[in-house]
Amino acid sequence: MRTLTLDKAGLASTIQDGGRLGILHAGIAAAGAMDPLALKAGQHCLGHHAGEAAIEIAYGNVRATPSHDCALVVTGAPAMLLIDNESVPMRSIQTLSAGQTLTIGPPSEGIYSYLHVSGGFNTHPIFNSRSTSPREGIGGLHGGYLRDQDTVPLGDGAPPIDTCGADPGLCSIEQRDVLTLRYVPGYQYDELAPALIQRLNGDHFEVTSKANRMGVTLNGPPLKTGVESLLSEATCQGAIQIPPDGNPIVLMKDRQTMGGYPIPGAVIESDCVRLAQARPGQKIRFAACTPQEADNIRWLEHHYVETRLR
Amino acid sequence: MAFTIGPAGDTAMRLSFQEPPSPRLTRLLLQLQRTAQDYFFNALSDSVVGYATLTLFFTPLSLQRDQVAAWLEKTVRSLSDSQETQAAHSKETVVLPVFYDPAVAPDLVTLADDLGMTIDTLTTLHSATPYFAYATGFAPGFCYLGTLDPRLKTPRLSTPRQRVPAGAVAIADQQTAVYPCESPGGWRIIGACPVTLFDLAATPFSTLAVGDSVRFEAIDEQTYRSLGGQL
Repeated sequence: MRTLTLDKAGLASTIQDGGRLGILHAGIAAAGAMDPLALKAGQHCLGHHAGEAAIEIAYGNVRATPSHDCALVVTGAPAMLLIDNESVPMRSIQTLSAGQTLTIGPPSEGIYSYLHVSGGFNTHPIFNSRSTSPREGIGGLHGGYLRDQDTVPLGDGAPPIDTCGADPGLCSIEQRDVLTLRYVPGYQYDELAPALIQRLNGDHFEVTSKANRMGVTLNGPPLKTGVESLLSEATCQGAIQIPPDGNPIVLMKDRQTMGGYPIPGAVIESDCVRLAQARPGQKIRFAACTPQEADNIRWLEHHYVETRLR
Repeated sequence: MAFTIGPAGDTAMRLSFQEPPSPRLTRLLLQLQRTAQDYFFNALSDSVVGYATLTLFFTPLSLQRDQVAAWLEKTVRSLSDSQETQAAHSKETVVLPVFYDPAVAPDLVTLADDLGMTIDTLTTLHSATPYFAYATGFAPGFCYLGTLDPRLKTPRLSTPRQRVPAGAVAIADQQTAVYPCESPGGWRIIGACPVTLFDLAATPFSTLAVGDSVRFEAIDEQTYRSLGGQL
């Protein structure tokens, strides 16, 4: 069996694909890559199908050795890559011979990098997905974050197709003083005080260090809703949840599927991805958009991705 | 029945009723959920019933808002008009054994104090009430059960615990639940249930489902241990 051994697994590395659908009602979050664009880019490079998984690496610091020769590509947050002691570029196919060591350093910007290996990771899929949900202990290699010395089984890798080979330049990392998160108003939007909505739309917030696959906590003018809890209902990705302390949390891939805090609306998917790659300290502002605008953005980006991948 | 239909983010639609939760409302929501699954089929990736809401999640690019809103509007009206929504597909009551003891319930003593009652009264009130499963979620196998005896109504902990053990039986506001797996949590723990509520290898993998009737039954330490309970 072909395998990849992680001599160093990094801070919070997990196996992720596009996530699992159809089991939210059971209380299991969809999971999936925090940066689906970077996932797609790597799948494209290696000629993988859209369901193939990669290792999602938060803040780099991974060292890996394969049992057999393999092709690989690293996408997402740009980091220094070494094969043994030789520096190689991100976002292009590299060959790693059996016993050689790939080192992924800390990224210079962004958070999540993706290590794709030809043939994909051959872990046991659960509900049609290999994505890891560490809280639930589901998916991935053993249900949790990858650990030092873990050995991950690889699929039978065909050599990458020649026509692919380079990252099509899909990027979710944006260097901006203030990152704008567009959101669709909904949930309790109409029931919250106009002054609070005004603050949400007008003020600046900042990404805190309380940011992970479950959600990103923002700091800013406290948004006191005066509401301790509501009747629990389904949450959606990007939901801007406002707990009693007034610091909004944007819910991400591993969010809890039900919530009882007020939610004025939900950040559109494309901006959730930018937020996922934003580091603590990044300034944020919210901008309300209509559902129709959100649809237009989604169609345009879909078209952009499809044309890039041709 | 008053309700609103609106977006939940960019790929989901949310139906919300302006009335207090009740088993009747939940049964309507469940029937709506089944009807929606049949009607939208593959376009519908997920659907989740809340206390008074139904959220429909669509696969990206397949959501046609106006069509979904119109369908929901029409279907809600026809279902709520048609005589009592399928009066309870009378499932048997699920009975869950609970060891009510300070050894497994860190909040039991203080809570009884706060509520001005003995531990015995508290646990008797908790186990005497039949509950209805209003929603699942938060964590796999977690089921929101109501309605708690008003005498047991209690706020959540002001600072949630980082770690609530699997099996913890807890109450908050007018709800009660069993934590199926270890997780953070802010509800007050009054007992421990040795039954596994969530198992991916089992069919169905969750013991409890929305619409179920649930009752708790007090057990002693020996029974708790014999059922696999840990102190």
